[in-house]
Amino acid sequence: MTAYILNLLVLISVYAILSTTLNFIIGYAGIFSLAHAVFFGIGGYTAALVAMNVTPEFFVAVPVAMAAAAITSLLLALPALRVRGEYFVAASLGLQVLAVTLFSEWKSFTGGIGGVIGIPAVELFGYPVYQPWQFLLMSLICLTIIIVIIRTLVHTSFGRSLKAIRDSESAALASGKNITVIKTLSVVLSSALAAVAGALYAFYMSFINVESFMLDTSVLVMAMVIIGGTATILGPLLGAALLMLMPSALTYLTFLPQTEIGSIQQMVYGIAMVLLMIFRPGGIVSSHPGGNK
Amino acid sequence: MLFLQLLVNGLQVGAIYALTAAGFSLIFGSTKIFHFAHGATFAIAAYLFHFALVGLGLHWIFAVAVAATSAVVFGVLLDRFMYAPIQRHEGSFFTVFVASFGIGIVVQNLLGSVFGRGFMSVPTPLSNSVEVVPGLYLSPLNGLAIMCAIACFAALHFFLTRTFVGKGLRALSENPELVRTFGLSPRRLSTYAFALGSLLVVPGAIFTAAGTGINPAVGHHVMLISLAATIVGGIGSLRGAACAGLLIGVAENLAMWKLGTQWSEAITFAILFFFIIFKPSGFFGRATVS
Amino acid sequence: MSESLSTAQKAVKLVPGSGFTGSTDDQDVLLEISHLSKNFGGLQAINDVTLNLRAGIITTLVGPNGAGKTTLFNMITGHIPPSEGDVRWQGESVIGKSPWKIARQGIARTFQDLRLFTQMTVEENILTMMEPGSWLWQPGKKSRKAKRYDKVSQILERTGLVEKRYTRALDLAYAERKFLSLARIMATDSRLWLLDEPASGLDPNSYNLFLQLLREEVKEGITVCIIEHNLDIVVNISDRIAFLDQGKLLADGEPETILNDPALAAIYFGER
Repeated sequence: MTAYILNLLVLISVYAILSTTLNFIIGYAGIFSLAHAVFFGIGGYTAALVAMNVTPEFFVAVPVAMAAAAITSLLLALPALRVRGEYFVAASLGLQVLAVTLFSEWKSFTGGIGGVIGIPAVELFGYPVYQPWQFLLMSLICLTIIIVIIRTLVHTSFGRSLKAIRDSESAALASGKNITVIKTLSVVLSSALAAVAGALYAFYMSFINVESFMLDTSVLVMAMVIIGGTATILGPLLGAALLMLMPSALTYLTFLPQTEIGSIQQMVYGIAMVLLMIFRPGGIVSSHPGGNK
Repeated sequence: MLFLQLLVNGLQVGAIYALTAAGFSLIFGSTKIFHFAHGATFAIAAYLFHFALVGLGLHWIFAVAVAATSAVVFGVLLDRFMYAPIQRHEGSFFTVFVASFGIGIVVQNLLGSVFGRGFMSVPTPLSNSVEVVPGLYLSPLNGLAIMCAIACFAALHFFLTRTFVGKGLRALSENPELVRTFGLSPRRLSTYAFALGSLLVVPGAIFTAAGTGINPAVGHHVMLISLAATIVGGIGSLRGAACAGLLIGVAENLAMWKLGTQWSEAITFAILFFFIIFKPSGFFGRATVS
Repeated sequence: MSESLSTAQKAVKLVPGSGFTGSTDDQDVLLEISHLSKNFGGLQAINDVTLNLRAGIITTLVGPNGAGKTTLFNMITGHIPPSEGDVRWQGESVIGKSPWKIARQGIARTFQDLRLFTQMTVEENILTMMEPGSWLWQPGKKSRKAKRYDKVSQILERTGLVEKRYTRALDLAYAERKFLSLARIMATDSRLWLLDEPASGLDPNSYNLFLQLLREEVKEGITVCIIEHNLDIVVNISDRIAFLDQGKLLADGEPETILNDPALAAIYFGER
């Protein structure tokens, strides 16, 4: 039982990192990305590669993973942020689809469809971390640090600039803000931090493959952000917890056909998204239920 | 010869994409609503066509009617009961998109649960290929699809240039405020846009159900293509979306030849990226102003 | 109306124009618009407009609806590129520059539909105007930061928004929003203010306060150009008037001359 709970908690913290970092760009900057799973994947694959070929040291593997994700996100952001918001959605969707194909075909980096197996246990200054409770501690610390970083940024001038861009791009432009640079920075930051989640996931599971990094995952993380509450710190955390607990919760409802649980899960959050957008666009945790705009 | 074969296949697929993309472009252009659930409309039409024909054994004319009705009803219901309330409560791009996306997920999974997740198609002699010229296989379905697409575009053109509602829709995409001063209601026109845009997916849905076959993810796939085609063709241009749809259909098939099937979706997005970087206004789009 | 707003209003006395005396022709030209034209696919929105905006005075841009006034503003601030012509700010052309660069050079504007940062508080709205930098922190030490907060407080006092400091812009009353729009521009270091119908719909008391604030700023050397429809307001504020109709500049000069011209009046009131 404890093993089950520990496992769930680790996964929740990994996804909480994903949802918090996605919220940074969706909730605070108004930039819609459907490609978050790509950076999750890049983080995972890069960390795995470093761990298996160089060293499983956390403080080596993770920064490299972050750098890889940051550079890739620049490739997405630089062309796509110069133009209208709808284009970015389309471009991010495109990147997500392209990435899945790349992840499946690039055998030397990702092991192709089979994935990467035998990822060694992560090491903190040479000390291997493989006990589940140790890992949970590590994930929670990472999550906390990331939350602190994001929260701090949100309350500084950079955060205000992001929110200004979200609320009115033309007025933000007219106030002297170089919105392309600001948006690019936020995307790069969000992607680099998402890679941390990827690294943690890879080390924890010891095995990763492309199935964890597909559009479904990007959608799941987006659902977490939206349902939990955008532009709040607590929202994404709540969203992550809720949506990770949902599959288990659904199994308790024995009248539901077990084979359909996956579908039902998706339908539940699909409907939740629709209802929330009509009645409470800010999400569950929103401070102003009246919503945006 | 293989090249020619793929070209023909590409044109057929492209014709379907062109219609669906035009539908999305019409809706987005006139209502500014990012109707991500457009793919769901396609899936519903396709599955209900299949169900009517194969499951209920109805005559194909009735099956077509069922598909068309379901598509239009779905589109209009979404407009009335989902998009309208959201827009009343100060809907932003975000809320509209998310709701749309949510519905798409619900529909995809519902169809999967009800009809099963495997590939299904309608057995019909029309899809049997005939070797027209050595190495070139055409089926009546290919020809029918292309002709049907041409007919639909002609009808669409007529509708948009000659009828009152059609002209209203074009006005709506240029300048919503102007529409009000002429006594038309953007709300009403929006419903028409959804009805018409959704209707446009029906031919594509039927031909896909009869030809290559459908599975619950088909709506999703079609949505991505429509989106890419709308952007590549230029936002606000139906002609552009149609041309881009055709281009993507052909490119997809040619890519399958040279690169293998797994890259076909990727090719679509490579094209999209290319346009976003070098020509964001697309083929025929108007210049984008913040 | 909030208490602090009415207290500020009590200090206002009505004087036509900006209190500027002397001939406006003698003032330095800060913004030169030469032969500016804009064609929107067949629609000639602006047609060969040449206009100068001078330092230290209020120029009002008037004209019937659809005359192209906002389009003119959009071209000055770089939001729309012109089809022909030039705009020079302090001698240097601004054509082709991005709006944010032009803003940093000292040209600020408000929008007819305000475009406030609706989800942010009043304080944040004003503060962010002083933070154009893109990096993760603004340059300058703690003292600069404290100065910015002080400036926010001063602006809140002057615009009567002190009590709404932590209120979301979305939750403000109509007049308060108008004042926030003005407060935002006051926070910048801009020397040219382009205001698009900034006082429309304000009640007389608020309007007086508004005018007073404008006059104070103009005295400090700010150049102001206002788009305004309400003739009462135009009569009251202008040191100079420019009359635009169907994209063409029909007249540009002292208020008495323009306002007494019967031909212009006919156009303005719709008889052609």
